[in-house]
Amino acid sequence: MGHDEKLIKDLEAKTDVVRRNCLTIFDSTQMGHAGGTMSLIELVTALYFHHLKLDPNNCDWPERDRVVLSKAHCCEAIYAVLVEIGWLPKDKLNTYYRYGSPFQGHADRWATPGLDYSGGSLGQGLSFANGLALAEKMHMQRKAPTETITRFMPRYISKFNPTYRTYCILGDGECHEGQVWEAAMFANKYRLDNLIAIVDYNKYSLEGPTNEIMPIEPFVDKWKSFGWWVAEVDGHDLRQVLDSLDLAAHLYGDGKPKCIIAHTVKGYGVSFWEEAHTHIGRGEEITRGVEEARKRYGYS
Amino acid sequence: MGTLNKHVKIGEPLATADALGRGMIKAAEKNQNIIAVLEDMGFPGLPWFAKNAPDRVIECGIAEANAAAMAAGLAAEGFIPVINSFVFACICRAYNQIRQSILVDRFNVKFIGREGAWGEPGISHNHVEGIGATRVMPNLLIVNPADAVESEKAVQAIMDYIGPVFLRVEASPPPLQIFTPDYPFDIGKAYTVKEGKDATIIATGYMLTEAIRASDLLEKEKIDVRIINMSTIKPLDDEAVIKASEETGAIVTAENASIIGGLGEAVAACLCENAPAPLVRVGVEDEFSQSGRIMKDVDELKTHFAFGAEDLAAAVRECLARRERLHKRMRR
Repeated sequence: MGHDEKLIKDLEAKTDVVRRNCLTIFDSTQMGHAGGTMSLIELVTALYFHHLKLDPNNCDWPERDRVVLSKAHCCEAIYAVLVEIGWLPKDKLNTYYRYGSPFQGHADRWATPGLDYSGGSLGQGLSFANGLALAEKMHMQRKAPTETITRFMPRYISKFNPTYRTYCILGDGECHEGQVWEAAMFANKYRLDNLIAIVDYNKYSLEGPTNEIMPIEPFVDKWKSFGWWVAEVDGHDLRQVLDSLDLAAHLYGDGKPKCIIAHTVKGYGVSFWEEAHTHIGRGEEITRGVEEARKRYGYS
Repeated sequence: MGTLNKHVKIGEPLATADALGRGMIKAAEKNQNIIAVLEDMGFPGLPWFAKNAPDRVIECGIAEANAAAMAAGLAAEGFIPVINSFVFACICRAYNQIRQSILVDRFNVKFIGREGAWGEPGISHNHVEGIGATRVMPNLLIVNPADAVESEKAVQAIMDYIGPVFLRVEASPPPLQIFTPDYPFDIGKAYTVKEGKDATIIATGYMLTEAIRASDLLEKEKIDVRIINMSTIKPLDDEAVIKASEETGAIVTAENASIIGGLGEAVAACLCENAPAPLVRVGVEDEFSQSGRIMKDVDELKTHFAFGAEDLAAAVRECLARRERLHKRMRR
């Protein structure tokens, strides 16, 4: 483990770029899921700019790692990243929420190249990710191992890398949904070690503190008792995020689905949104936040 | 019996379960991507799967929401997951999962859902809202076969079709054997079982059996009824409905389902917009079903809901009377 300092510096610079893109989105419509989007930025930056297996020139590469954004209202964060990769037109970021735009209000697979899941109705993403991960296993099972592996490295047969990994980004409030736990049982039953769930644990849902609305704690123990491998990290510390992702990917072959619980701050990076625990901002709530961020991230 | 179409040969009643299993096995043999997704409710042709393709059986347990969204994920990677259960579980329990995870992206997931007014299990399982609940959903086909031959053909046809389908399997008494093995089943096409000029019964699923019996009764009264098998409820074969309206001028629909949102309503909309004619809808009125037995001389639920052959015959007479009144008013 341990990552090159230069990589961390580069990724930190990227998070600023991604945040600026998010601000363009919010600014264009005076609306957006500012809180949950800003808490995700380090996670998606670490994923898309370093960790994921992807081809910047081909978003439809069949072996590309899959990302299921279960908390699909925060698709702004993904949009902000995909325009940097080049799969989406950056100059159209300001068409968010508009008719015919590739930047739909909630993630829409048909409208946006590079998305793996159309979401918006919470709690279903992990089940969908189960399907993707199981399909990978089933395809793998059908494909005979190469001759080299069978002859010289038989012990690697169950150990080599999957064709693709499936990542699922969940919200903490979303884990109130019973379906998340149905999916957690399923992933354990089918030993989906190619599935990595990342919970953006920003402690707030729309109405207020997640654990007051319906306590989800002890959260780590819940996942563990469902048979998952669990890591707990600071979701804004790129070093920890990268380490946990590497470890989760490296443990492929142990037969356990992986869950990274990322402790984050809702609205991270903009003190006005952090204090207001903004879920979806409109009008002045957005403009004041954008105004503050304008200075900090050099957004004009 | 009047002139029957050439693919029709009426035989003794025969349950459809075996034929459905046979069709499922044929489809699964042909297409290796078909995956049986179980919800602890069995599966057509399961012994074959267990013996020949155990890796193509995914058991989700009693967790229908997860099963539906998980199936969408399998379909996204090229598999054809088939979910089998009661309609109230696999469709209605997972209603939003079907909408959001499957239909929005038009993923190739098939549902084999069992429902109908008949049966001993009672109010929970004798479910009649399935057609109404699903007809409103974009991108979803609804197919409801009428007898064993059609069931076997339909289950294979929906596997060849690319897109989500709800195959409705009915809880009902065994239907008559109606179609010959060379019957050409086509998704989206109605089939005229018997020509007729006085009125038309448009039936779906088991009710085609009752429609054929009703037509026999009416023949004795010199009423010549056309019978249409509407096995695809969505998309509806509008042409067949319009033609029947123009040529016979009186329509009766028959379904083992709620008439609210069901086949009757679909036909009514088509008639009103294209070729208005008097219409009587036979099916379950706005109510739930309950436990009931089928005994030698009495079928409790058929009597309760009044949708047997005699009731259908009465509906045809009522429809003809309405047409008569309408014509009188127009002549005045």
